[in-house]
Amino acid sequence: MVSVNRPTRGYRVFQGVNGVILTLVVVVTLYPFVNIVARSFSGERQIRAGEVTLWPKGFNLTTYKIVFQDSMFWRNYGNTVLYTVVSTAVAMVLTTCYAYVLSKKHLKGRTALVGIAVFTMFFTGGLIPNYVLVTTLGLKNGVWAIALPNAISVFNLLVMKAFFESLPTDLEEAAQLDGLSTYGILLRIVLPLSKAVVATMVLFYSVSFWNSWFSAFLYMDHTDLMPVTVYLRNLIQGATGGANAGAGTEQLSQVGANIQAVTIVLTALPILCVYPFVQRYFVSGVMLGAVKG
Amino acid sequence: MKNAGQKNTGRLSRRQILSAAGFVGLAALTGCGSGDDGGDSKDLSKKQNGAMKNYRAGQQFKAAKPLSFSLLHNNNPVYPLKSGWLFWKEVTRRTGITLKPVDVPLADYEKKRSVLIGAGDAPFLIPKTYHPSEVAFVSSGAILPVSEYVHLMPNFQDKVRKWKLEPELDSIRQSDGKYYLLPGLHEKAKSGYSLSFRTDILEKHGLTVPTSWDEVYDVLKALKAEYPDKYPWTDRWSTNTPFPCGALFSYLGQAYGVKAGWTYDNLTFDTTARKFVFNATTDAYRQMVEYLRKIVAEKLIDPESFTQQDDQAVQKLLAEKSYVISANPQELVQNYRYNLGKQVKGAKIEMVPVPLGPAGPVVLGGTRLENGVMISSKALKSDTFVAMMQFVDWLWYSDEGQKLCKWGVKGTTYTESGGQYRLEPGISLMGSDPDAAKDLQKDYGFFNGVFTYGGSWDLVSSSFSPDEKEFQDAMAQRKELPIDPAHPLQSVEQEQATLWDTPLKDHAIQNTLKFVLGKRPLSEWDAYVAELKAKNMQQLVDVHNKAYDRFQQANG
Repeated sequence: MVSVNRPTRGYRVFQGVNGVILTLVVVVTLYPFVNIVARSFSGERQIRAGEVTLWPKGFNLTTYKIVFQDSMFWRNYGNTVLYTVVSTAVAMVLTTCYAYVLSKKHLKGRTALVGIAVFTMFFTGGLIPNYVLVTTLGLKNGVWAIALPNAISVFNLLVMKAFFESLPTDLEEAAQLDGLSTYGILLRIVLPLSKAVVATMVLFYSVSFWNSWFSAFLYMDHTDLMPVTVYLRNLIQGATGGANAGAGTEQLSQVGANIQAVTIVLTALPILCVYPFVQRYFVSGVMLGAVKG
Repeated sequence: MKNAGQKNTGRLSRRQILSAAGFVGLAALTGCGSGDDGGDSKDLSKKQNGAMKNYRAGQQFKAAKPLSFSLLHNNNPVYPLKSGWLFWKEVTRRTGITLKPVDVPLADYEKKRSVLIGAGDAPFLIPKTYHPSEVAFVSSGAILPVSEYVHLMPNFQDKVRKWKLEPELDSIRQSDGKYYLLPGLHEKAKSGYSLSFRTDILEKHGLTVPTSWDEVYDVLKALKAEYPDKYPWTDRWSTNTPFPCGALFSYLGQAYGVKAGWTYDNLTFDTTARKFVFNATTDAYRQMVEYLRKIVAEKLIDPESFTQQDDQAVQKLLAEKSYVISANPQELVQNYRYNLGKQVKGAKIEMVPVPLGPAGPVVLGGTRLENGVMISSKALKSDTFVAMMQFVDWLWYSDEGQKLCKWGVKGTTYTESGGQYRLEPGISLMGSDPDAAKDLQKDYGFFNGVFTYGGSWDLVSSSFSPDEKEFQDAMAQRKELPIDPAHPLQSVEQEQATLWDTPLKDHAIQNTLKFVLGKRPLSEWDAYVAELKAKNMQQLVDVHNKAYDRFQQANG
């Protein structure tokens, strides 16, 4: 019988090797990001000479100042925040309701409803029919063009459904006996127990909407409706320098060297800040379905 | 009772579901019916709303009543669209037309354009279209065969006639003999790229600025002798293109009379044999490859030129690791000279007219057309169609319209005297006046690439910097090689030709580089030609020759 108190030598070796490999993976994943942050604070000469690795050299805030002055950047940033908040809210409401309903085994037509959802995972109407649909519904040039078509991610839906199915039915039956309506059960019993999965889904959806640029690019006709990801894409693909952000000629060279790094840092920053706080939900969420009561 | 109850709880019978589906299908079909095609497309009598009765070339266009037209606007991040631009206001004031721009970021302009046209939601006017991208939309009927309607455009026709652009227009005709793009028209071909030298270094070593490729070789050898551990020449424009060193091969090929680099085409017209031949196997092409091979073999050009990023190439120039680099007038002034001035005292860099080669003082033909305007077929159904065509003719093709788009309003944004245009003080253009408060493009909306292209030589050259003027004047003296005659393929042929075209192009480009870099000895040239033959080279040439003969017979 293996003793669970004293780890065997084999286990310790495994832990050691595991640790080394995982550290390597962390370093490889983290390095490009640290490099970009360093670049965003560095001077142009050092960047072009390739001297910047982990730490900023030639520290200056010129490009940050220029980007902060560009009103279109802030306009687009505001758009991103708006679209993300609205889209995530809509997505969460719709996904939770759909998942909860699907988790009830006595639902009539359940297989058909699940089938419809899964079908859309494999087949899609295509770019142009989707465009025609959204346009004819009059959703163009508004936040709903981004929120509605992408509201339910089937993957998230199925995960939530599986989670709701794992909740003990006795709880709901007891609540029902006490006279709680279906909505009451959902809001007062089920959701409080689902904090882990709800938090996870909120994070998945909000990161996905934060990063999305294609829907906005497709359905918006004016630059001041675009999110900041389109602004960044335009910079990287279209512009050859920082002139668009209003840099003066002397600053052009400096701005050209690291404007992409600056914009990347500013775009990723909010997500970076949110992640550590939501992380604890992932851990407890993973464990929740593991041990059956 | 129980049955009735069950029915009401929402479970539809199979029959009900099927009939519902049937109705939906019917509704969809009737909904997307062919619609009214506006009667005979040649009959324009019902489409004269707002048009001028006797609109002639050189006349100010003014619509009979205020109209508005939708326009796809390619938004360049250097001068993002502003609704308050003087440009919009002035256009409305002069013509009575209000433009409604649909704003698309430059980065994905082509993609959005395709989606909009495919979905039937495109604006009437679609500018900034580079030939041959309009070909993709021809078969769907989504864009207008504008050649049928240029009789409504007197300025366009006048310029075509004056500047003898008929052969150029023929080159953009499709197999039905019509063309689907209104291109930007230039009076004279404008050369863009050439070689630039650190003239202060040349002076220091008593070298003269070269005028021919042989002289370029001598100068490079002399520089190598002075600086044995440097590559005198490093080059750029190798990224985002199928043909690395696109600019270099372009103007080097020109000296041999071949199309290479950015201008590369699998086929070229042999004027003596009067038929199309494969470009990358001709003797002239081989000679070009041999010349560049010599340069690479003697370590006169940095081999990384063919792979490096533009930034790296420029950095080598600025760090004085090299003294020769490809240039265009804008890069010369705003990048090389400006940055060299900051880092190296007394540095001087000049762009030379393209060095001469065996073909003599020539420029490649076909560069007098620029990107242009497509018209959506839906515009034909509107009763303001004629007015719209007249408006397009005035704004993009009349002298007054072109002047407005380029320079703006006389007295407000520019002054003109004796053919010299000067910006009003306080206004800058592309960095011409770093202390100016306003910029012609950003704040006023003029000199916008969506509206400003083509024109008479006087107008086009009015914005040249002194360096560019010198360069263009020298290049304008050269003879323009005749443009390849029209050889449009039919759609069936097009598919097959595309299947052959791409592998041949890739193979030709890859081997050009291999030969130049010495990875493959030039003695294997015949083997390379045989490989191309095995990839259906002759079949591709034959298809195009057949199309050429067919077009000749049909259109004289």
